[in-house]
Amino acid sequence: MKKKLPDELELARDLLDKQVVDRDETKMGRVDGLVLELREGKPPRVDHLEMGSSVLARRLGPRIERWVSAFRQRIGVQKAGRYRVPWEKVQEIVPYQVKLDVKVDETPAFAWEHWLRDHVIAHIPRGLKGKTD
Amino acid sequence: MNMKKAATLALGILTSVGGFFDVGAIATSAQAGALFRYQLLWALALGTILVVFLVEMSGRFAAVTRQALPDAIRQQFGFTSWLVPFAVLTLIHFLTLGAEIGGICFALHLLTGLRVSFWALPVAALVWLFLWRSTFSAIENSTALLGLITLAFVVAAWRYHPPMGQVLAGLLPSLPHHEPARYWYIAVGLLGAVISPYLFYFYSSGAVEDEWDESYVGVNRGVAAIGMGFGSVISVGAIVVAAVVLAPRGIQVDDYHQAALMLTQVFPFWGFALFAVSMGIACLGAAVELSLAMAYTQAQTFGWNWGEDLDPREDARFCLTYTVAILAAALLILFGVDPLKLTLLSMAINAAVLPFVALPFLLLMNDRKLLGKHANGWISNSVTILTLVVAIVLAAVSIPLMFLGG
Repeated sequence: MKKKLPDELELARDLLDKQVVDRDETKMGRVDGLVLELREGKPPRVDHLEMGSSVLARRLGPRIERWVSAFRQRIGVQKAGRYRVPWEKVQEIVPYQVKLDVKVDETPAFAWEHWLRDHVIAHIPRGLKGKTD
Repeated sequence: MNMKKAATLALGILTSVGGFFDVGAIATSAQAGALFRYQLLWALALGTILVVFLVEMSGRFAAVTRQALPDAIRQQFGFTSWLVPFAVLTLIHFLTLGAEIGGICFALHLLTGLRVSFWALPVAALVWLFLWRSTFSAIENSTALLGLITLAFVVAAWRYHPPMGQVLAGLLPSLPHHEPARYWYIAVGLLGAVISPYLFYFYSSGAVEDEWDESYVGVNRGVAAIGMGFGSVISVGAIVVAAVVLAPRGIQVDDYHQAALMLTQVFPFWGFALFAVSMGIACLGAAVELSLAMAYTQAQTFGWNWGEDLDPREDARFCLTYTVAILAAALLILFGVDPLKLTLLSMAINAAVLPFVALPFLLLMNDRKLLGKHANGWISNSVTILTLVVAIVLAAVSIPLMFLGG
């Protein structure tokens, strides 16, 4: 698949906090963090994007990060609370979303979504919505 | 104009039935008319101008950027700046949802004589079932159609032949002859009832659900004006009816029972039921809209999959958000919180947070990198800023005044 990326990118404005979708345009989270690799004698390079509650909590401060982490250890479905996306997986960046060359079901991003689907939603009789059955 | 675009009017009417003429508008219009007759119509007019512009802006934003507001706000201002407004809005939405559910319960109480709190859980189940089973367009169309019953207020107002001179004079602000603190507080309540923040989150997400693109910019302008105009005309009707029916009898509307008398003179036999049904439907529309606004805001803030047309198995977290919100808000009513008090409280808070909602929104609307040639022009900017300044001054003066004066 051919990549569709802009020539120039302002990381904070054009990438951080943007909606992330998978190959099939399923919304899978947001760019909660960006990690640069610092290289000797060369400009830094974006190594990976991060998604997940522990990444968000860290942005709010160390204390909040500890609370969220403790909470996650107790009842967490996804214990790490973090999903790292290598830059190579970034397929397309447009003004309203970032598309990854992944399938969301194969990533940790939908751990909670799947847990809730299987343990709660599956037990409620569904309506007429949606094409799949 | 093709059929699909013509049908978008339903989104405008739904937004209006739910967001404009809701439990807050009924309560504040009844109080305004009962206490000050036509004198507070200007507050409604001011609110209408502001809300038409803000709704137009949120629809234009969604059409051009394909982003709803919560999505865009998190992206543009960052998670840490959005977190506090997000938490405050969630709380306000929750209280207002409680007030709307209370409104439906009250309507059922009027029709059946059973206690308000008795209806809390059945009503929660009804609202939830509506969202769980229907697609977005089914919700739009059915609510827009049912919402037409609220025109009863306009018919009643027309039949009373109100003094047109006084009605028109009410469109210009004037100083009250009595109870100044109440007067200004109700003026702010009317503004808060008309311009509820969830309107914009809901409407812009609805535009994304309906897959608007740049070609909808023109249609959106009409939808905003007609949809919000619809809500405004009905609220004017409610104020006029309250002024004619309640004011001469000295009825002050400290209780929804008093408001229920509004339609009994014009429609002696079924006026009571008509009031109850109008109120129930307006509040149902609002409850649906609020639950969705909460789920949209939550899902977009965290990037979850969302969409009212999806099978709940594809957006479990989105569906569970509105499920939990509806249940929790119904508990307020179940445990006996007074619906009218809850309504007036949430309307005042709505008005107080308005600047914090509108200012970031104005910044977004002026961002040419996002909107290109569809960014705000000077008319939108000056009208919004002017009306906003008036709203801020009113809220800053009247809310402390009311609490000091009791």
